Amino acid sequence: MTNIKLHAIVLALIIVSELIGTHTIKIGVGTIVLLPMLYALLIGIFTTLKFLNLSGNKEINDASALLGVTLMLLMARYGTLVGPTLPKIIAASPALILQEFGNLGTVFIGVPVAVMLGLKRETIGAAHSIAREPNVALIGERYGLNSTEGRGVMSVYIAGTVFGTIFFGLMASIAASALPFHPYSLAMAAGVGSASMMTAAVGSLSAMYPDMTEQLAAFGAASNMLSGLDGLYMSIWVALPVTEWLYKKCYKVKYGVSPSEDEEGLSEEDKEIIEEEKEIIKDEEKNMEAVEEPSKKEGE
Amino acid sequence: MNIKDCVIILCIMIFMSLFSNVLGTPATVIESIPGLIMLADIALLGILMAKYLPGNIPSVAYIVTLGCFLTYPGVPGSDFITAHVSKVGFIALCTPLLAYAGIAIGKDLDTFKKNGWRIVVLACVVFTGTYIGSAIIAQAILKFLGQI
Repeated sequence: MTNIKLHAIVLALIIVSELIGTHTIKIGVGTIVLLPMLYALLIGIFTTLKFLNLSGNKEINDASALLGVTLMLLMARYGTLVGPTLPKIIAASPALILQEFGNLGTVFIGVPVAVMLGLKRETIGAAHSIAREPNVALIGERYGLNSTEGRGVMSVYIAGTVFGTIFFGLMASIAASALPFHPYSLAMAAGVGSASMMTAAVGSLSAMYPDMTEQLAAFGAASNMLSGLDGLYMSIWVALPVTEWLYKKCYKVKYGVSPSEDEEGLSEEDKEIIEEEKEIIKDEEKNMEAVEEPSKKEGE
Repeated sequence: MNIKDCVIILCIMIFMSLFSNVLGTPATVIESIPGLIMLADIALLGILMAKYLPGNIPSVAYIVTLGCFLTYPGVPGSDFITAHVSKVGFIALCTPLLAYAGIAIGKDLDTFKKNGWRIVVLACVVFTGTYIGSAIIAQAILKFLGQI
């Protein structure tokens, strides 16, 4: 808390990052966005490198401890962003609410792929949502941002911040030309809880259907506002529990064992897990033998 | 984490965010301070509610809900709060946060390197899943309502 060195480093990072400022690189249908927060993150990581030795273990640990509360200021701003738009959200068709369940597609596609790729608890953070700010705050509060789950959500958050608009811009045009969806559906789906991603997707759709521009923008904006509001509640009560459940199922399918309690602990090495798994398998085999032996005796 | 520590951290964050907000948005120091203090109060209230109210609801939920409620048009004082907090840029608030985050995750750099490509692949899958999932349901709803 009172680690002056840490705060001095952070202050320097903020000033440098803000002075570099926002830069956007236009590529085809979208833009790559480089925000000050990205420089702050990268230079922050850089200061922990051994040869620089600016941020030592003490700074790293103190920064981890602070993170949970620092997120709360951002969340207060988030709430006050949504508040003034609430009347419009309520006025929008209640049917839009149903559409929010589509965001659960993230979990059912994301979790199996994550486990298949060999990710462990990162899966929980990375695949429970599209990892926008409220999701980062939620994972930060539940597991801590320096946990394995926190690493997962942070990675997707950063990837989304930098490449999100270009990805959504591209995906909307591909979906519009290759998949049998009505442009309205695609505009509505673009409301994933990030204004920049929604704008990019609706932008490419508008370019393809210029006579529908207004309706596309209206569907996109209404759905996006709603996602902004209910995304968090959905994550807490639906998406996160479903992710935990599905992770356990997928883990069992891939590795043949349930994710052990130890594995849910903090930064472990994969080798350790594999060793633990082998031990568990051995234990299970022993148990099986132990079970089989009495039955053999009975048979005799 | 006790309440006194939370208050100290929020004060530090107000200080840090002041720099990012003044440098990153058109707002001046004087314009930024009231909004930041209001946001910190909302955050603190949410943290207190999560701590003392039953139900084990995360403070994130309380804070976002409180923020929504206090700026809902028609709620007494909402115009005043909205006017001040709108001086605080959302993106500007992320800068100090990610500076701390960068330092905090520095120790996991090796794991990041090892898992980096996996997570980038996963991010693409996650975005696609959300988009296509939502589009399928949107299509069904709009068909049902007869709008398409």
